[in-house]
Amino acid sequence: MPDPSAVTVERLKKRFGQRTAVDGLSFSVAAGEIYGLLGPNGAGKTTTLRVLAGLLRPTEGVARIDGVDVGADPRQAQRHLGFLTGTTGLYGRLTAREVLVYFGTLQDMPRPRIAARIDQLTDALDLRAILDRRCEALSSGQKQRISVARAVIHDPPVLILDEPTVGLDVLASRFLREYIGAERARGKAVIFSTHYLAEAELLCDRIGLLYQGALLAEGHPRDLRVQAGDATSLEEAFLRLVTNLVAA
Amino acid sequence: MNLPHVGAVFRKELRETLRDRRTLTVMFLFPLVVYPLVSLLMAEVMAGKQATDEARTSHIALVDPDPASRATLAALLDKKGTGIEVTRDVSLAHATGQDVSNGLIDAVVEVAPDKAKAAGPLPVRIIYDETRPVSDQAHDRVTKTLSGVLPTGCFQSYAVTGASLATKTKVGGYVLSKILPLIVVIMTMLGAFYPAIDITAGERERGTLETLLSSPVQRFDLMTGKVLAVAALSLLTGVLNIVSMSLTVAEGARLAAGSPILAIPWPRAAATLLIVVPAAFLFGSVMVAIGAMARSFKEAQTLLMPVYLLCFTPSLVAGMADFRLTGLTMLVPGTNLTLLARDLMLGDAHLLPAVIVLASTIGFGAVALAFAARLYDSERLLASTDADLVSLSAWLRHLVSRPAAPGALEMAGAQPVPPSAGQAVSLFGVAFVLWFFAFTWLQRWSLIPGLMLSQWGGFLGLVWIYARLCHRSLGDVLVFRRPPAAALGGAALVGLSGWIILGVLADKVMPPPREVVENIRNLIHPPGESRSLALSVFALAVTPAVCEEALFRGAILQGLRRQFSVPVSCLLTGILFGVMHGDVWRFVPTTILGVLLSWVALTSGSIIPSMLVHVLNNGVLIVLGYYGLDQAGDKLSGRTTILIMGVAVIFMLGGLAAVRRAGRDTGRQTAG
Repeated sequence: MPDPSAVTVERLKKRFGQRTAVDGLSFSVAAGEIYGLLGPNGAGKTTTLRVLAGLLRPTEGVARIDGVDVGADPRQAQRHLGFLTGTTGLYGRLTAREVLVYFGTLQDMPRPRIAARIDQLTDALDLRAILDRRCEALSSGQKQRISVARAVIHDPPVLILDEPTVGLDVLASRFLREYIGAERARGKAVIFSTHYLAEAELLCDRIGLLYQGALLAEGHPRDLRVQAGDATSLEEAFLRLVTNLVAA
Repeated sequence: MNLPHVGAVFRKELRETLRDRRTLTVMFLFPLVVYPLVSLLMAEVMAGKQATDEARTSHIALVDPDPASRATLAALLDKKGTGIEVTRDVSLAHATGQDVSNGLIDAVVEVAPDKAKAAGPLPVRIIYDETRPVSDQAHDRVTKTLSGVLPTGCFQSYAVTGASLATKTKVGGYVLSKILPLIVVIMTMLGAFYPAIDITAGERERGTLETLLSSPVQRFDLMTGKVLAVAALSLLTGVLNIVSMSLTVAEGARLAAGSPILAIPWPRAAATLLIVVPAAFLFGSVMVAIGAMARSFKEAQTLLMPVYLLCFTPSLVAGMADFRLTGLTMLVPGTNLTLLARDLMLGDAHLLPAVIVLASTIGFGAVALAFAARLYDSERLLASTDADLVSLSAWLRHLVSRPAAPGALEMAGAQPVPPSAGQAVSLFGVAFVLWFFAFTWLQRWSLIPGLMLSQWGGFLGLVWIYARLCHRSLGDVLVFRRPPAAALGGAALVGLSGWIILGVLADKVMPPPREVVENIRNLIHPPGESRSLALSVFALAVTPAVCEEALFRGAILQGLRRQFSVPVSCLLTGILFGVMHGDVWRFVPTTILGVLLSWVALTSGSIIPSMLVHVLNNGVLIVLGYYGLDQAGDKLSGRTTILIMGVAVIFMLGGLAAVRRAGRDTGRQTAG
């Protein structure tokens, strides 16, 4: 029976020399679901996302994007995902439109389709005023909107977002969360990493708590609070779970 | 001024900068090792070229209707030491300017037919081609010879005038050939410099690299696009320089002389564009590949500047010294393009060398491109950290401080520090600096004492200090173990046969000039000096076999082996060994010998067999030189040479097989 999950991670390990960054991680994300990867610095969130994005090769285990084994065929997997890195990653001397056309071309999209998609994204992300301005002249929030447009230019079924709201003001963060919610409604699978536990609680359908490269707990934010002994917040749940693990 | 603040900032900046391994390399390795090395090699090459030029005989034709006068003049010109030979070839006895232009003869010396009527000095006209260096040299030699017939102050016997056959266009081509090729190569390199940094290290620094690499684009395609962009900019720079330089030279000559004294050969200048395309591709690829290794714009500049200078220097020398585009020169990147551009400008280019130069340039460019693509396919690009920086910096601090000093070598405490590639390279750097700035001077002062001091006190002493600082015994650093008897037997065979194979190879690949061979002979057996054979063998065979082996096959090889495979470690050690000998003509054979010695040491698991190979290799040559038998090979027939070579190859293969088997049997193979 085919795997219905858009993203599947099975016993994933990633080592850098002697250091193990990800240690036997397994989870899956269904289409139309937002999955939050949470954890302290060094927990392995960014490494996991980079493996999923085809930037790093797994040391062991398997990661599949839309059924494509990322380790075996990273280029093919990259056609099925949009990756938003920790930085906006825009070319300052190009206009926003030129950036979108460039990345659309790298995704083998024909010009008319790129143009049509830019029109769609202009409406969805409110890009009209900034589309023909050089990226270096844009504010942080504007850059992040262009960056999101760049990541989804080919309308991929899977979105991988590495701390997308870092450095954004309240309005820009809210706008972005609304957009991610809208993408979920369109059936996209979203993997979302963040330090802001409150934001994850608001947005995610399920959360995986990462600690030292392994999954500490997984489930709906409400279930995680229950699992941690009826914690009042996700933050408290996380702290209790880590304390329990260290004590054990 | 708040001095504590200034001091704090100063210390922080210095600490941060000195923790950057690549900055350290460029700061110390290049000025202290690479530049002296390059200057040394260039001086050798120039000296070799000058010696070859001076040894070359100028062939001239003498045209004089008066047989008696012709005989006097011919005797004068043909005299030993003038470097001139008056041709006896009947067909060229009355050579014309056409023969000079075609290169059949270097110059024609013509005596005026009405000389008998003329009073005073005999008018002599030298017909030559000022745009051909050999013809120009012939003109200079004839002028010098005839002008020096009588002592200064006396009436000159000959009134010498020169008549160059070169047309204005040819002179224009000649003038341009002296400056344009070098300028084009340098500017094409410079044209690639900043764009290459911007699209590699700049991309990484701006944070766009990760975004780009998450796109489904093949890394080779990605790199090809980047290289082509850099090459296009570089190409534009090269073309603009050719056009601008040609116009500038033409206009400059016109302004200086008031009327056109030369004409620009525009078709040839246009033909020079031929080199700009592969040059732009090569420099674009190399600079993108190197820029891709850098983590920041600043670091890329630091890495690329020495590459730029290293490419520039040979091109400069080749361009200025009238080297011919033959043999291995056709394969030296940058230099070969400079020489081809010069030949194109002079109208002297030939198809085969041109094809080899262009093909090899594109080939080198493709290799650099493939390397860059491979680098972009590596996750180290995103996850790169200076993993071994801690150990290197700790080791360097340890090197300059007492082991017991607080904070020194925190990572290792008082435990023995294992060898590392960083240590090996640093050790080589120190040894090279000592060798270049002190040991060569010592040996020039007095060969044998200087050699003893620099080898036993210098190389071996350095290894001893290194062992002390690493808390290891000298025997451990050297891998001084008792080897199996079979390994010693094999090493003996390798040592007895190596010198023959390497000697023949050196003669075939890069035959050294006669002066270089003579210098080596004089070193082994100094004329007019009664040095005993035993002393020569001890100083020139035993000493380097112990001390150089300790440095190269001990500390350096063992350090490199920690990071690299056996073949790569052997190759790198061999190259460093070749470099340390500081002789461009012996570089290839010494490097091969260094590789062989490294392989023997690693495979046998002991330094003793490599010492044996080294002592036999040098010892045999010294004994032959002592008894004057070293030139006997020159008199052997082709068949005998092949036979000896065949026996040497069998000895060599047998020896290597014995070493390998001995290493396997004892399980010491690839020690280190």
